[in-house]
Amino acid sequence: MSNVSQAASRDITDPLLELTDVKTHFRTARGLVRAVDGVTFNLDRGKALGIVGESGSGKTILSRSIMGLLPPKGAVRSGSIKFEGREIGNLGRKQMRHIWGKEMAMIFQDPMTSLNPLMKIGQQIAEPLKIHLGMDKTSAMATAEKLLQDVRIPEAHRRLAQYPHELSGGMRQRVMIAIALACGPTALFADEPTTALDVTVQAQILDLLNEQRKDRNMSLILVTHDLGVVAGHTDDIAVMYGGQLVEMAPTRVLFANMKMPYTEALMQSIPKIEDPSHTRLTAIGGRPPDLVHPPKGCRFAPRCPYVREKCENEMPQLQQSDLPGHFFRCWYPVGSPEYFESKERNAAKAMASAAPTEVPVSIGEAR
Amino acid sequence: MRYFLQRLFQFVIVFFLVTFGVLVFMRIGLNKPGDPARTMLGGTATDEQIKAVTDRFHLNSNYLTQYWYWLRGMFTLDFGYSQTNNLDVTTYLKPRVLPTLFLGIYATVGALVIAVPVAVYQAYRRDSAFDKIGSFFSFALVSIPALVLAPLLSYLFIIRLQWFPRLASKIYPWESLSGHFKNFLLPSIVLMLPLAAVYVRLLRADMVQTLQADFVTLASAKGVSPRRVLWSHALRNSLFTLLTNVGVQLGGLVGGALVVEQYFNIKGMGSLLVVGILSSDLFTVQSVSAILVATVVTVNLLVDLSYAVIDPRIRHARALS
Repeated sequence: MSNVSQAASRDITDPLLELTDVKTHFRTARGLVRAVDGVTFNLDRGKALGIVGESGSGKTILSRSIMGLLPPKGAVRSGSIKFEGREIGNLGRKQMRHIWGKEMAMIFQDPMTSLNPLMKIGQQIAEPLKIHLGMDKTSAMATAEKLLQDVRIPEAHRRLAQYPHELSGGMRQRVMIAIALACGPTALFADEPTTALDVTVQAQILDLLNEQRKDRNMSLILVTHDLGVVAGHTDDIAVMYGGQLVEMAPTRVLFANMKMPYTEALMQSIPKIEDPSHTRLTAIGGRPPDLVHPPKGCRFAPRCPYVREKCENEMPQLQQSDLPGHFFRCWYPVGSPEYFESKERNAAKAMASAAPTEVPVSIGEAR
Repeated sequence: MRYFLQRLFQFVIVFFLVTFGVLVFMRIGLNKPGDPARTMLGGTATDEQIKAVTDRFHLNSNYLTQYWYWLRGMFTLDFGYSQTNNLDVTTYLKPRVLPTLFLGIYATVGALVIAVPVAVYQAYRRDSAFDKIGSFFSFALVSIPALVLAPLLSYLFIIRLQWFPRLASKIYPWESLSGHFKNFLLPSIVLMLPLAAVYVRLLRADMVQTLQADFVTLASAKGVSPRRVLWSHALRNSLFTLLTNVGVQLGGLVGGALVVEQYFNIKGMGSLLVVGILSSDLFTVQSVSAILVATVVTVNLLVDLSYAVIDPRIRHARALS
């Protein structure tokens, strides 16, 4: 197969995944929904990328678009998705089936609904092994047991014959990971893998994912709404808003040097350990944009506290900051003179409106 | 096991209640209360004849005693006496059982064989032309009673195409397989089509829901072929409503069989029941309904057990209770 030779000739340092202007639109009765609207990035082998955004930002659709796991009807895809150098953006389900589970695998959000309730755990792990690696039942079961040990499920052998309802949520998520890892994929997509779990279990699952990523030199795409989740577990972070990438940077750079007001707002909505208890969390006012009729200018403009006229009329492009690998989409980024000016203006406004009664503490000052 | 015994006990109770109810209501409904023997034998019967019948079936005792004697007779295959035919019920009921059983089995099995693939494919290709046509026909068939379907199909296949004889004659499969089907196919189809339509609608709805479940998407994302996703992952998870209804519809099937047997002149239990009720033939009605109730109850018990076979959660919950 030409694909194989092509893949073999590729350098190990070449990106595993190259996205160029990827768009996924859905035809609906209301009009065309621009769920993913022109996303471009590369992902290197063995790296962990966090895709962060609130509900409706397009992060889940983006990860499903890359995998080709979209509903068969109504989706309009364009742009280029290259996986190990071959174009997969235009492949149908039939062709993707040989990649699914083998080279790309996915972990879903809710472990309670993501396992077949009528099938034994062992069978569910063995299925991809039989399909992709042609294993017989005995060796597939032996491998399944090994995988359960890898994801640290105690009494692995006994679990093979158990059904999902006999396991706890955290255990089931480990089983999901075992299924995803079964055929040694090069890319693992985890869509909110810890959202449905207890906080104590969350950290364990994230650590497990990362450890397996390093052991297997596998790339991990972690999709989440929680910046806190990606902070300690990713190399790079891509922030999505309204179907677009609005900021992308190596994790450390992003947290130290965020440019996009939306990223800043996401940051402020994380509870901080040093805050006194009962501190009110900052919410982002307004709602995500209507993706049938997105705003003409910056998509975050209607909710941005630092908005100016230009923001509402002209869409900013993704531009590089002075730091390597750091891109953002904003006319007046955090730290610019206009940003500080708007900030002062906002503070003054809040002061004026609240002045007669009491001395206000604006959000900006409290931080 | 404990669960099974509980259910078995419940079903036995149901059997007793229904058959006893039939006995009581048949006697209450007599035009000459208190004298069932005379009603059975008619005005020309002599006093000795009446006394003989009254004594044999304890018709002067209370209902419970009568029920007890009848029930006891049933176990020795003595179903009672039919005045309409002047024969023991057992003698002429025997050849009537199989034709109705054939009809019921062909209709149920045939309906499932048609409905399952149609519903699965409809759900898989939701909103496609196939799905829409399927939904239209299943809706139409659900609304057509056997009374209308029977003449419609017989006009087409008997009068126009002349594929089948007008009146079905009773030929057993071991006598002549082709002859058997020539006579039983069309009546079975009349019973089967509305049943298949109900099954299609139920299974399609459940399948559509199951196909949206996360574990189905996960199965695809593992690289499982669409065929296996449908038949092995999704179908098993969608069977419960359908199975329940196989049991429930069985009762309705009796009503359908009644019409079909009359229409195609099949000498089965359905036509026996009609004649029996019309002529106040106590023991015929009691015996036929006992057989029907026993069948319905048994099938429902099997359906109940099949849940546990399919779903480990039910199995485990039952084991704990």
